[in-house]
Amino acid sequence: MSLFPTVGRKQLGVRISWWLVVAFLAFGVFMHLVPFYIMITTSIKPATEAMAMPPTLWPKQPTFAAWGLVLKLSDIAKSVLSQPLSKYFLNSMIMTFGTMILSIPVTSLAAYAVSKLIKGRAAKNLFIFFIGTLMLPGIVSLIPSFLLTRNFPFPLPVAPNIPGTDVAFPTLRIWNTYWAVIIPAGFSAGNFLLFKGYFDGIPDSIINAARVDGGSEFNIFRRIILPMSIPVYAVVAYFTFGATWDSYLWPLVVIQDSAIAPLTLAIRRISDAFGAAGTTNPLTAVGASAGISELVSQGLSWNGLMVLGLLQAIPTFIFFIIAREYLLKGVKIQGLK
Amino acid sequence: MSVGTDVIEPRPAVPAVEGGRTRRRWLNWLFVIPAILFQFFWGWYPMVIAIFLSLTNAPIRGAVTFRGIENYVRLASDPLVPMAFRVTLIYGILSIILTFIIPIITAILLMEMPPKTMRVMMILWFLPLSGIASTLFWQYLYNEKFGIFQYIATAVLGLPPQAFLSSERLVLFWLIVPGIIMYGPGLYYIAGLQGIPKSYYEAAEVEGAGFWRKIWTISLPRLRPIISMTLLFSIIGSLQEFTFPDLMTRGGPNGASRTVVMYMFTLLNNGRIGDSTALAVMLFALIMVFVLVFRLVFKSDPDV
Repeated sequence: MSLFPTVGRKQLGVRISWWLVVAFLAFGVFMHLVPFYIMITTSIKPATEAMAMPPTLWPKQPTFAAWGLVLKLSDIAKSVLSQPLSKYFLNSMIMTFGTMILSIPVTSLAAYAVSKLIKGRAAKNLFIFFIGTLMLPGIVSLIPSFLLTRNFPFPLPVAPNIPGTDVAFPTLRIWNTYWAVIIPAGFSAGNFLLFKGYFDGIPDSIINAARVDGGSEFNIFRRIILPMSIPVYAVVAYFTFGATWDSYLWPLVVIQDSAIAPLTLAIRRISDAFGAAGTTNPLTAVGASAGISELVSQGLSWNGLMVLGLLQAIPTFIFFIIAREYLLKGVKIQGLK
Repeated sequence: MSVGTDVIEPRPAVPAVEGGRTRRRWLNWLFVIPAILFQFFWGWYPMVIAIFLSLTNAPIRGAVTFRGIENYVRLASDPLVPMAFRVTLIYGILSIILTFIIPIITAILLMEMPPKTMRVMMILWFLPLSGIASTLFWQYLYNEKFGIFQYIATAVLGLPPQAFLSSERLVLFWLIVPGIIMYGPGLYYIAGLQGIPKSYYEAAEVEGAGFWRKIWTISLPRLRPIISMTLLFSIIGSLQEFTFPDLMTRGGPNGASRTVVMYMFTLLNNGRIGDSTALAVMLFALIMVFVLVFRLVFKSDPDV
């Protein structure tokens, strides 16, 4: 409450503009809640009502039919989804938690060292080395990275031969495994910035006092810094979870086997199949697979896609509930300098 | 060590300053080595290699040979390439113009609310809807036959039926609209604003500064480093857009929403690895031009 004058708040002009601000903010909040409302209500509508014009505000006959059908989607339409939905959910979980377990310690230890342990020119150069990629368009490394997952450490479609022989160099192949999503995300420049901003705010005197008491740098980090830094860890964990859980282009490139595909790719497939069946948009109907026609006749349309959307949204939502207290305490970012 | 059985152990003597420092300094690198390896192999290395790879034929089988600018020449004669760049530029610039400023204003205004109201509003605002879920939601709303937007256009506003995402002319605009109407404050802006001491505003008020004056001379200058950072990331990010247009329209109708990255993906799927990399390098160059212009504009920071 610092922009509005402290004196003269009762004046009509000030009051009107105050309520205009409130209305603007309340409208924004309201708009933000609309998607949740529409997705939830649509998911409990019957198929025909989900495609009714005009749209209904609340389902006339609420039913959980769409939820049931979506959960056993792979039984009815094997051609669309080869695995049960829970399998894709599990795949996403493995990739997301794998990324978090690898990336958070690697990134935070580096940020701590650059912030507190390494001084002078070395720290400055390391900082640029770590966040430099953030200021460059990362898309340029998409294809070399994809090739690296096939023939590490050669970013080539085929590994070169050992000179003078016909034998190719041995390479490490993580393509089409969970590791292809987890390992390239081992260090995150954005999270590095968040960690460093937070560690910079911890006074050096605390660390120096601990040094006088003895103990290795790692123990100081574990016993003193870590407990003080829970907010930033919560924020980074939440961000990492959200980003990996929702990742789309990278899994599309490196995951081919549908048995290990994440939920995002499964949703893409289902949404495509419905589009092809003309259920979602009659103009794009090009012919439905037998499985999809069966699903449609049992009453699945947009209500089913909303169920899928909600299933995809729930884990991030839960993580948000856990991390919400820390959101503001953990972000102490001061730009790129 | 439980409290009861505590034995007082002799503390290791504090190492002599010289020896201690060097020993520590060596061990400090253990903290950064894993990150250095990851950042090198999955950050810098593929980025630099991309330029070399774009100059080869990069066949799926067989030996890689150097081909000079052959890939670039081939792309230059592909009519879909300038089209994709046009889409990318319009989409990127339009989305920054229409969606970048509103979160800053919202964050500044949100700070005016009483603390409790602000907390509730913030939590509601930051309720996350997963990106993939929201594309399904927007597809539903944009549906030409029974979407809510069509209902609003025909029944409420009395307009003729709209084509929305099937309109070649307006599809990019419709793809940006969700970003405008779902306005909210940015977390980084709120974090930055909370760091401004109240006394600044009080002093300004004593000096006779009004509402706008305070925003212009206190809030915005203090947010400047954060705004400059988020603007840089939005420029880079919006010109590399893939997920949202891909899920919403698959690049249609007739490529009217096919961004450069989407075309890269198509080339990659067709096994044209060299061409796809060359296209990525071209996009890289374009974005770097924007980044350099941005740096020139934002160079002089009065606070430093």
